[in-house]
Amino acid sequence: MDFSLSKEQLMIQNMAREFAEKSILPVAQQIERENQIPDEILEGLAGLGLFGIAYPEEYGGGGGGYDGYALAMEQISKVCGGVAMTLSAHCMTLSTIMAFGTEEQKQKYMTPGCIGEHVLSVAFTEPSTGSDPKQLTSTAVKQGDKYILNGTKRFISNANWPGTILVFAIDSVTNKPTAFLVDKWCEGYSISEPWDKIGMHGGMLLDVYMKDIEVPAENILGGPAMGYPILQLGISYGKIGVCSITLGAMLSAYEEAMKYAREKMHRDKPITKFQAVQLRLASIASLYEASRWMTYRLAWLANNVKDPVQFAKEAALTKTFVGETVIDLVRDAMAIHGSYGLINDYKISQLWRDSIIAPQIEGVTDMQKTIAAAVLLGAI
Amino acid sequence: MNLVVAMKQIPDLQQIRFSNRRPVLADVPKSFGNIDKNALEAAVLIKESYGDGKVTVVSAGNEELEDTIKEALAAGADEAFLITDDNALDDADSSIVAQVLTEAIKQLEDVDLLLFGEGSGDNYSGQMGPRVAKLLDLPMVGYASAIEIKGDTAIVVRTLEDVEEVVEVSLPAVITVQSGINEPRIPSVTQILKAGRKPKTVQDLEDLDLGSDHKNQVVTIDILAPESNRKQIKVNNASQLLDALKNENLIGG
Repeated sequence: MDFSLSKEQLMIQNMAREFAEKSILPVAQQIERENQIPDEILEGLAGLGLFGIAYPEEYGGGGGGYDGYALAMEQISKVCGGVAMTLSAHCMTLSTIMAFGTEEQKQKYMTPGCIGEHVLSVAFTEPSTGSDPKQLTSTAVKQGDKYILNGTKRFISNANWPGTILVFAIDSVTNKPTAFLVDKWCEGYSISEPWDKIGMHGGMLLDVYMKDIEVPAENILGGPAMGYPILQLGISYGKIGVCSITLGAMLSAYEEAMKYAREKMHRDKPITKFQAVQLRLASIASLYEASRWMTYRLAWLANNVKDPVQFAKEAALTKTFVGETVIDLVRDAMAIHGSYGLINDYKISQLWRDSIIAPQIEGVTDMQKTIAAAVLLGAI
Repeated sequence: MNLVVAMKQIPDLQQIRFSNRRPVLADVPKSFGNIDKNALEAAVLIKESYGDGKVTVVSAGNEELEDTIKEALAAGADEAFLITDDNALDDADSSIVAQVLTEAIKQLEDVDLLLFGEGSGDNYSGQMGPRVAKLLDLPMVGYASAIEIKGDTAIVVRTLEDVEEVVEVSLPAVITVQSGINEPRIPSVTQILKAGRKPKTVQDLEDLDLGSDHKNQVVTIDILAPESNRKQIKVNNASQLLDALKNENLIGG
């Protein structure tokens, strides 16, 4: 059992750290204020191959695997969670097309995504449902060799950028959820203003309105009625992104806590001399290490998924632990900061807002436990 | 144009811990010094502006170098020529390493330009460029902040303390570069993953003909972090602060 990172993994980690510190950090406050990522940041990420890091070179990817992806995402998120969130939603879509697409679909939809010309999205959630396929109301009515899509999708990442959006709708032939590859900004496609959400600014969530969008039947991903299995596996890959983003927030909180504790003086001594602070720092370090290795392991598993159901269970367990643990970790880091943690000049205040997103997206924690239990008990 | 860049493997300076003022180097990952990366970037830029050519990195160090060199190969070097030894090179002084690099460079064909950082990231003795130039009997220009190739000469801007000096040197030559000469590129995912597949020659130190007279002339007795003692002067008001700063000669009287 070898837990050391290879030279290539270390170099990918360094590359992402260097780009994040040199290019993202100077605009991180602007992104936080304006909830908008400057184009040159996305261009920079594309230039380094980070839009397609996990995917094979034949589809424009970098061939760095999910392990490289997780390491890079952690470093980007450490500086700006919103930028990492944009990449995560994009990569979840690519992973889904990689798993279910025909060769032609992979060539057509993955390549512009991997090289960063397109920013991809998944659209399952609707105003009345987040995870229940039976509650979907978006429709895809078959007319000859095409489908007509109508409906509203909620909280969709990257819906504003050009590229492919994977839309889940009830198709009129099977009466079940089917996944369609749709070109954003085609006729009938429109979006809302971004939602004003609590944290991870820059990672925009928008509503998508579909009015009589025409989609050729060949744009169905994985076949009719395959929507739910596609969502389950796709979102399992998405959890690598969410967990890596969360790791970045943890690492940042860890560093902020260490820095503050070393600098803050009490009775002429840095507060690191007090056991109450020492215990919190040790707790932070242990929670980070546990989350880190669970996430890296999930990424390693994703490189070679043999059984999608077992992988879904592992992804759900990892997301459960990491998504909840970040709250405890940031709470400890906040406690070390005392009242200063409430002041927006201190990064811990932003991390506090960012961290609560982890247990709420890509399936809430209760949904993760439900998935894991269903697999453990043989119900799936 | 055949460019050679000499780079030194050093411990990643950001990951060194100190214990009792001494650096703890065990398990610290290896990297190249920042100014060495500037030298490599300068070579790659020259090659790119020239339209063709080859950038070869020469380096000497322990066996970890075979992994560390991937950083240079990802950042634009075309191939590498390495001299390795389990431990003899770790404590070797500048005179010995200069001989080792010289013997390595002699094996490369038709070298037009040799680039070095002005000093290494760890010891920063600034000797390697001049020593190798002397051993190879080549002209040397130090502290370059810009390099332009014109025919078979290089026009080099040297940024000195209060002047900029522009010199012309005939090629082949040795040039050492300053950190401000460029901003080294960040390698992409693909460049990182392909680095290990680029050509690499690895020679054992024992196979080089260094002659018999190659003993360390400088022996490092100890390495200690500077001690900083805070004065802990306490003041009660602004005028006392001003007095204290004046007494310490930190502001004018």
